[in-house]
Amino acid sequence: MDIMLAVLAIVGIVGYVFLFLGTAEPRHRHGNLFLAIVASTLIVMVIAGLFIQWPIEFAWQKVTAFYAIFGFCAFTFLIYAAKGLRLWLSKDEDYYKKKGV
Amino acid sequence: MHPGLILIIGALLVPLFKGKWRKAYLIIPPLAALIDVILMYTGVFGEIPFSAWHLPFLDYELVFGRVDKLSFLFALAFTLASVPVMIYSLHVKSSTEHMSQLVYAGSALGIVFAGDLISLYFFWEIMSIASLLVIWHGATDKAHSAGLRYIMWHVAGGITLLAGIVMYIAATGTIAFNAIGWGSGSTLLPSLLIFIGFILNAGVPPLHAWLPDAYPESTVTGSVYLSIFTTKSAVYVLARSFAGFGPLMWLGAIMVVYPIFYAVLENNLRRVLSYSLINQVGFMLCGIGMGIPLSLNGATAHAFAHIIYKSLLFMSVGSVIYRTGTAKITELGGLYKSMPLTTVFCLVGAASISAFPLFSGFTTKAMIVQASALGGLAIIYVLLQLASAGVFEHAGIKVPFFTFFGHDSGLRVKDPPLNMLLGMGIMAFLCIFIGLYPYPLYQLLPYPVVFEAYTAPHVIETLQLLLFASFAFFLLIKSGIYPPERNTISLDTDWPLRLAGGKFIWFVKGPLTSFSTWMDSHVKRIAADFTAYGEEKEERVFIGVSVMLALLFLAFYLIVQLAYGWIFTS
Repeated sequence: MDIMLAVLAIVGIVGYVFLFLGTAEPRHRHGNLFLAIVASTLIVMVIAGLFIQWPIEFAWQKVTAFYAIFGFCAFTFLIYAAKGLRLWLSKDEDYYKKKGV
Repeated sequence: MHPGLILIIGALLVPLFKGKWRKAYLIIPPLAALIDVILMYTGVFGEIPFSAWHLPFLDYELVFGRVDKLSFLFALAFTLASVPVMIYSLHVKSSTEHMSQLVYAGSALGIVFAGDLISLYFFWEIMSIASLLVIWHGATDKAHSAGLRYIMWHVAGGITLLAGIVMYIAATGTIAFNAIGWGSGSTLLPSLLIFIGFILNAGVPPLHAWLPDAYPESTVTGSVYLSIFTTKSAVYVLARSFAGFGPLMWLGAIMVVYPIFYAVLENNLRRVLSYSLINQVGFMLCGIGMGIPLSLNGATAHAFAHIIYKSLLFMSVGSVIYRTGTAKITELGGLYKSMPLTTVFCLVGAASISAFPLFSGFTTKAMIVQASALGGLAIIYVLLQLASAGVFEHAGIKVPFFTFFGHDSGLRVKDPPLNMLLGMGIMAFLCIFIGLYPYPLYQLLPYPVVFEAYTAPHVIETLQLLLFASFAFFLLIKSGIYPPERNTISLDTDWPLRLAGGKFIWFVKGPLTSFSTWMDSHVKRIAADFTAYGEEKEERVFIGVSVMLALLFLAFYLIVQLAYGWIFTS
């Protein structure tokens, strides 16, 4: 079991690093291969989640691949929220200087 | 010997050494302090009984060395981090910079070992001044003004703390620094004041604006020191005095979410990391506020791991600044080919802060999240998980991606000098070590640990969350929805203060100065009249002036009499 978990963790790290390599611009000549590896790590995680006994501390943990959905939605929400806040909070770099502060 | 004293005396000796000898010497104080801490055993040391000196004014006993599991763990983290950070900064030539950094580290150790409120306050203020000097070594106009704002915040916090301490001692009759909690009756106000003083140093919103304002303006090495001591010594004092304090849990929960949005918007890498620092301290305060053994263990363990990975992140970003001269995301990108080692170290720090399995954050943060689940605190749990996705966004993806990958900036700079690489290498090793084998750290925690990080649900839950968050990042950046980096700053809670401060300075320079000039000219004219009188040119002095003066003196005399009578009769 421990070895399985270690393998899964390494797969996760591989997915993390290859996402960077595959998304960097100008595109790496193996960019598509890198992204295919990332996609397969996602699938591995969802499948791995199907085979284990989840603790039920909260009702929502019964949902299949709950944390995958949560991670995706949370990230998207944060970016959209930040985009909205940018209109309100972001100012020119010399904002305070112009205000004479 | 007190390890803080080793660092402070060590700092004073720095100017005696030059060139190569200085480099050899600089490593000695942090290393000696680390060995000193490791060899320590628990107990209470360094009492200074003022009563024995027949000083009735301070009829107390100061305790400079209270060593228990909590203070030992923080002292170990501080000294363990100081050694690689010192190696990282060996190339710095300024002796005053090294001195202020060592004194800063020493004062943080003073806080950690302080057994009473008076010596705690003493080191608290030394830390404020030393950290101000660390910021001012940035030696730019921005660093200078950010440092001024920084010290205004900390003086305000220090005075609040001092007022709280004095009132607390008056109300309880003891200076011992132990659990304070929510007071009642005569201890309510003092405990509240002490709490405000503490959370200001921890960077709790809305009292946090000094942190992202000042930390990015220091030198490359100064920022690393700043990221370690002030906030974590505040975490320590809160763990000691306000464990299980309900409002702290909610403040922590706000604190983990609030800075995320700023971190997404920021363009300056060190400012992103500063907001991320606030977010991570939020996890710790949330754990302290929950107050159960698991969450307190989690908070202290997370502080330990955080000191290591956060300084690693500041070091790797510092290396980029050292080579390129900029920390702006808009000017960076594609450095992984020419700075491979820095990239790897940054990724280790990023994976640790994002709590990837096999890295340090995974084995420590989980305790706090787990504690919220066990306590049935659904809202806290969701906020902490949301913040985990947020940490991953800004520290796990944004910092490494836009610096080392992202859009190629065309910059081709080398990895930094060997000493900087070595410092980062030691930190990266510690990150992975705590991730793979956390049990030595678990043994040092204040309560016995019944927790296993590497369970199948926890590993898979974390990986699902992180990888699908990165999938969302991929889709958002490819579709152009991800907000493009712009050269902007974001307004924070110090906005009204800074504008009001600016208006005040405008008032002083403008209307007030004109008024005083006008007054001056009139006073001069009157003085000239008196001179004329003195020179026996009576015709220039009107009789009216004499009468007016006599009336003024009379009025003044009456006011003084009335005020005197009023004060001493009421």
